Amino acid sequence: MTRDPATPAADDDPEERDPGLARERTSLSWTRTAISFGALGGVLLKVNVISGLIILAITPLVWQLGRLSARGASRAAGPNATRLWLITVSIVAVSLIALLVAVFGRAAPGGLRLR
Amino acid sequence: MSWSGRLAVLWPGTTAEDEAGTEPDPRFTFANERTFLAWSRTALALVVAGLAIVQLLPPFPGVPAGRHLLGVPLIVLGAVLAVVAYAEWVRNQRALRRGEPLPRSVMPWILAATIAGMAVISAIVLLIEATR
Repeated sequence: MTRDPATPAADDDPEERDPGLARERTSLSWTRTAISFGALGGVLLKVNVISGLIILAITPLVWQLGRLSARGASRAAGPNATRLWLITVSIVAVSLIALLVAVFGRAAPGGLRLR
Repeated sequence: MSWSGRLAVLWPGTTAEDEAGTEPDPRFTFANERTFLAWSRTALALVVAGLAIVQLLPPFPGVPAGRHLLGVPLIVLGAVLAVVAYAEWVRNQRALRRGEPLPRSVMPWILAATIAGMAVISAIVLLIEATR
């Protein structure tokens, strides 16, 4: 940054100075989404080990999608659309697994309580 | 928009072909992407909540189907929310490229209706349980 910080311009919006902040926020948002997948996988692990492991396996893939997004999101909408579409497909798949576990799985009342 | 048009939006190739307009300010693209991700996390939270209700709560005395009544709609709405979030991301990105006003979002309405519906079902289940 070459501007003297002591004399801020009239349009001294941090976004104007550094659009990388938007990239940073988006990257953090991807991280939170991956963590959400991990959390869901952890909950399912308690209920049904195989389903939990499947969703925990998806988590690093979501993380990787986010890193790809941070590198090339300023390109045309095409590749980006495929990435977000993959997220949508995984959430729908995860919902289906959750639905199957909820309807057919063995309930574990008080499963979160310490034994 | 016709129903086939709405469905076509859900296929990723259709946006790649949509080269009309100009590339928007990257900040807008990023903001649109973050909005999609935030709705995705909301959808995941609904799925987790539904699953936890069905699997981890003790059964409601007198209302054997109570847990499924509460949990299954939450899980289904999680899936619906994820799909609608993607469709809205496509619509917003298209509007940004063409410099049109952003279309109105139906997501807050869906979420509000879901929460209100769950509150009503919860109240009914608890009332039935209390009168037994």
